[in-house]
Amino acid sequence: MATVAIPAAKWNWAPPYPQVRTANNLDADAQLVERCLTGQAAAWEDLVKLHTRRVYSICYRFTNSDSEAQDLSQDVFLRVFKNLKSFRAGEGLFVVWLTRLTRNLLIDHYRRTRMDRATDSIEDQVKVLEETTAVLSRTDGMLAGREASEVLQAGLQKLSPELRETVILRDLEELEYREIAQVLNVPEGTVKSRLNRGRAELARILKRHKVRI
Amino acid sequence: MTCAELEILLCDYVDGTLRAEERTALESHLAGCSACHELAQDVMGVTAFMERVAPAEPPAELLTRILHELPTGPPASEKKSWWRKLFGGWVHGMLQPRYVMGMAMTVLSFSMIAKFAHIEPRQLRPSDLDPVKIWAGIDDRTHRIWDRTMKYYDNLRLVIEIQSRLKEWTDQEQAQNTEASKPKAVSGGQKAEGSGQKPEAGTSEKKR
Repeated sequence: MATVAIPAAKWNWAPPYPQVRTANNLDADAQLVERCLTGQAAAWEDLVKLHTRRVYSICYRFTNSDSEAQDLSQDVFLRVFKNLKSFRAGEGLFVVWLTRLTRNLLIDHYRRTRMDRATDSIEDQVKVLEETTAVLSRTDGMLAGREASEVLQAGLQKLSPELRETVILRDLEELEYREIAQVLNVPEGTVKSRLNRGRAELARILKRHKVRI
Repeated sequence: MTCAELEILLCDYVDGTLRAEERTALESHLAGCSACHELAQDVMGVTAFMERVAPAEPPAELLTRILHELPTGPPASEKKSWWRKLFGGWVHGMLQPRYVMGMAMTVLSFSMIAKFAHIEPRQLRPSDLDPVKIWAGIDDRTHRIWDRTMKYYDNLRLVIEIQSRLKEWTDQEQAQNTEASKPKAVSGGQKAEGSGQKPEAGTSEKKR
């Protein structure tokens, strides 16, 4: 299983990733997009710095592969560069637009690599189980931090793509239900239903591997 | 509260955003329904677990890689004039080096074919543009091509062979038919003789 990479100290991901989106953040996003559209290279750099972590995180959680997540993140920003003019600040948040774009690329990638996964899945599952058991023997079942992250990755891969993306967007990326509904293009009720099913399924998987939740 | 209603409210219960009366109703249902109780426990447990998970950090080189790969040309919002929107793609396609090279090779090929086939290019005159003349020329050429095609087709060895074979079969069939009709007439006469006077009377009647 791919490990979660830690950034080197020289890169300060500034401005920091906004966990709580305020009106100021939203204005900043809209202004940044406007600056990008006028062709300012510095604005593009700021935009990439601001949103790389979110895009990479979604890609990594979904694919469970660091290299694939990096390639996909790069593709996402290339697509942003080409299609930014189609973003309308008045019609929705930039974060939602960006997440929808990321999600669409992930789904394309998921469909494209279906055959590869079919051949690799058995080996991967055995490997993940061995690693999880080894981790649990050291930690008495109570996991946190990077170890929890690795176990969570293994669990997420066993969820269907619909449930996986919903759990990632809500519990890891902390999007609002309304925003998730816009990203996935489904009603809010469906989002909540998928979230319940995804969480319950994930809990069963973790408990099966003797992870204390 | 039913189990289905609980499932709808469960997300808000986990988030702690339920109203007091809804929360009370939900908790009283949980106290009496073991399946829903287990579901709620699982959901809350896994949510708490995910809060303990370390965030997935992108590697340091990813930012450099993305910024390096981003095009440095004009921004995506560059506005195009109406004629560029209409013909931009078409003209852009024609200005491609491969298209220009292709056109050059085509012209060269035609000129070489014309040279080897001794086709002399003739100067175009105003009278050549007369619609009646153009139409007559096209009609004449079409008929000539049609006649040539038909002649070529008729002279094909395969066609001749097939036609001669069909003719042979038709002749054979006709010969067989004539042979088959002769014995029938003979046997009909014998039968008439063996059956007595009536047929003869019949024939004599017919003759009359």
